[in-house]
Amino acid sequence: MHEYSLAHSLLEGLLEHLSTHPVEGRVVKVHVRQGELLILSQEALGEAWRLLSEGTPLAGSELEIERVPVRVRCPGCGYQGDARYLAEEGWHQAIPVLACPQCEARVEVVEGKELVITNLTVEDRQPP
Amino acid sequence: MHEIKTGFGDILKRQLELAERNYELLSDRGVRAINVMGAIGSGKTALILQLAERLQAKGIRVGAIAGDVAGDDDLKRFQAAGLPSAVINTGDDCHLDAHRVGHALKDFPLSAVDVLFIENVGNLVCPADFPLGTEQDLVVISVTEGDDMVRKHPKMFAQTDVVAINKIDLAEIIEVDPQRIVEDYRRVNPHGRAVLTDAKHGRGMEELLSVLGF
Repeated sequence: MHEYSLAHSLLEGLLEHLSTHPVEGRVVKVHVRQGELLILSQEALGEAWRLLSEGTPLAGSELEIERVPVRVRCPGCGYQGDARYLAEEGWHQAIPVLACPQCEARVEVVEGKELVITNLTVEDRQPP
Repeated sequence: MHEIKTGFGDILKRQLELAERNYELLSDRGVRAINVMGAIGSGKTALILQLAERLQAKGIRVGAIAGDVAGDDDLKRFQAAGLPSAVINTGDDCHLDAHRVGHALKDFPLSAVDVLFIENVGNLVCPADFPLGTEQDLVVISVTEGDDMVRKHPKMFAQTDVVAINKIDLAEIIEVDPQRIVEDYRRVNPHGRAVLTDAKHGRGMEELLSVLGF
């Protein structure tokens, strides 16, 4: 259950950002990219966001989470691209494998560990 | 409705930056740190104590930091073994993070150790998302957790390169096949190394040390 501490960091970061980059209108959606190597429950993250944002200018906004597939770079053969995924019956999720899809060498992770707020959906201001 | 791009960066990057700062501090002081993770009761403390004893016999000076939600039981175990040690109480957080470790390192007698074990909070999920700045990660699981541990926590094992499968002295009694754990682990992490250990009686320790590069 580290979703609360991460939701808190997201919220603090965004509130700070909004204090210097104010938006006109109410924020209704906060779009987040979550790397697939993170062991995070989207439901718990969304729930934490709802609770923690209460009483802030972001109250009532929803997190919209997009999962980012793992991308890797191979120091052996130079491959750069999607990681190989292991999908076996009974695992209920595809598991990224950190070995090169081409030559099986140990790879470096290029994408898949990030948690980024990419954009906001903001309500248009009603004409006076 | 309209969309606004924010792009103020990755909140986990902050964790990574703090971890890199810890790593630099440790390398500057010539200390090699190992992040020891695993569930409650997997045998992390016992394993660290066994490894410490063997490293000390080789003339390598060892220290330990105990990470726990509360209490100083593990700290007392490290102190009783004569290791320079400290405790980080996370006060309800389920994992250590680079920020807390950074504070602990500031007060730690780093010049008195060559190797520093950082024992994470007993939890097989959350610590995986928080790099601490250690040179190596070690996950300890015990056969008493069942032979399906890798299948239940695949992403943790996909990212961990050394795994100790502990309490193998109990495997037969509870009818768990440690080889099944090893096979699952190889599938999610073809480059990982698994070592069968019985920390209580000191079995598998030399092999684990060699896999860790000692």
